[in-house]
Amino acid sequence: MHPTESHPDGRPFPGRPSAVTAREPAIRTVGLSKSYRHPWTGRVVPGVEDLNLEVERGEVMGCLGPNGAGKTTTLKLLTGLLKPTRGSAWLLGEPITRVESRRRLGFLPEQPYFYEYLSGIEYLEFVGQLSGLHAQDAHERARRWLGRVGLGQRPHLVLRKYSKGMLQRLGLGAALMHDPELLILDEPMSGLDPFGRRDVRDLILEQRGRGTTVLFSSHILPDVETLCDRVAIVMAGRLTRMATVGDIVSGSRQRVEIRCAGVPLLEITPALADVLERQDHSHETVFMLDDDTRLNEAIEWLLRRGARIRAVAPQRTSLEDLFLDAAGARGGSKVEAQSDDRRSA
Amino acid sequence: MTVPLIARNTFREATRDRVLAGVVIAGGVVILGTQLLHTLALGEGRRLTTDLGLTTISLFGLLIVLLVGTSLVAKEIERRTIFNLLVRPISRPAYLVGKWLGLSGALWVVAGSLGLVLWGVLALQGHGAMGPAVLEGAYLAGLELTVITALAVLFSALSTPVLSALYTLGFYAVGQWSWDLREFARQAPGALKSTLEVVANLVPNLPVFNMRALAASGEPTTVYHLVLATLYALVYCGCVLALASAAFESRDFK
Repeated sequence: MHPTESHPDGRPFPGRPSAVTAREPAIRTVGLSKSYRHPWTGRVVPGVEDLNLEVERGEVMGCLGPNGAGKTTTLKLLTGLLKPTRGSAWLLGEPITRVESRRRLGFLPEQPYFYEYLSGIEYLEFVGQLSGLHAQDAHERARRWLGRVGLGQRPHLVLRKYSKGMLQRLGLGAALMHDPELLILDEPMSGLDPFGRRDVRDLILEQRGRGTTVLFSSHILPDVETLCDRVAIVMAGRLTRMATVGDIVSGSRQRVEIRCAGVPLLEITPALADVLERQDHSHETVFMLDDDTRLNEAIEWLLRRGARIRAVAPQRTSLEDLFLDAAGARGGSKVEAQSDDRRSA
Repeated sequence: MTVPLIARNTFREATRDRVLAGVVIAGGVVILGTQLLHTLALGEGRRLTTDLGLTTISLFGLLIVLLVGTSLVAKEIERRTIFNLLVRPISRPAYLVGKWLGLSGALWVVAGSLGLVLWGVLALQGHGAMGPAVLEGAYLAGLELTVITALAVLFSALSTPVLSALYTLGFYAVGQWSWDLREFARQAPGALKSTLEVVANLVPNLPVFNMRALAASGEPTTVYHLVLATLYALVYCGCVLALASAAFESRDFK
């Protein structure tokens, strides 16, 4: 039997939407794995290893990780573009091996490409009908969604004349126009200007309001914080952490920027030398404090030395730093090397 | 339901491609050009025009298959437009069959259009009664192109556009000689005989679709032959597409 043909608890899967209970998670993976064989050397390179993931219905989950971590591979496995080497997965209760698992799915690939010979409205009508809409319904929805993603002014413009941002918006419209219950988006903000990013954020929030389950990958922490209920951090093909965004960020050490005037020649005291770094600029001196728990100590020392403090600003630890911390690989190249391996495979 | 949608979109893609328009215009010009040879044909003008005209339909159709058909799936994979289709409730075999039907439809339109031009040229020469023979010739050319398109879809689903063009051309060339190959196999010794028989059975039996000499002499093809050729084309296409689907089913799209 195919690995994805049975339920994880051993029951045979009924395979009909009517038999699927509403309590089934929107996404469920059990030991999902994908490896690639190098065409020349025959070496097996893991892409995703033993992924066990559950996304509840109505939840918005961010899939985070550095380049080459396995985010896109995970999303492609779920959408059927890649075939798993091992393990099982279900979308809305349907095994991903079944075509039906994609009936209530909306997917936006990273850097979407479209048929250049079609116009925006023709494309949306086409994909709408492929998702099961009747011709008239597809036409009406195509018009509505073109307007909704800000492309309604010129519905008959051929796609070869679209900019990258316009294509990304069209891709989002195509993913949404059949009212999917599950939305999987691969880097949905990629290639968008600030207005476009805001619009995409609004669309995702609107979908969350409708009860749509959303799984998306991103590098952009502020977007993830705004949108997600939970995040899954993928490192080197493995799910290393599942938590709310707040948990992840609050659990990390924050840097603090202290901008001062009047301290051009001030030497850093040995007591703070391990956490404080000095940067001289033409009009001010900036101290970067690596450990926010020692902020009072640093400020007291600066005031004692006659510094005029102009601003104290917490610096969010970058997402990349969080990933490296999570992998315990800061300063090392292990994760990068593994990621490069997977990319080259 | 998804097969006709994909077929329609592929037909739209092919007919909006300038290659197809260019080939149809060039084919039309060649058929019209046979008028120039008419006077030199020493009374064989009708035969010459019909033979050259039907050959033009066949060869220019093959050119479209090589230029458009062999990159039909490979280009979609390369440009990643296939992602937008396969993440929808579409089976991979349905996708391939839709692509094959769409391009075959466009080729039938080409064969029909060039057939009309040919009939027009013959009518101008005073041979309007050649209509049925031209129709039969164009129909068989359409069947032949449908078979070649199925092979193009198979190779396109498995390799690059350049390689699939080479494979398709190779199968077309060997297919044209399949009767001779079969005859040669009959006289060949031992292992070579078996090998040649296998090859002759694998490649399409294209001489079945070549009734140009008969049409040029104004004699009709028998209904029996037309039915047989149609059934053969359907069975061969079915086998090729089943093979393509089986191979395509396990393919990863990175």
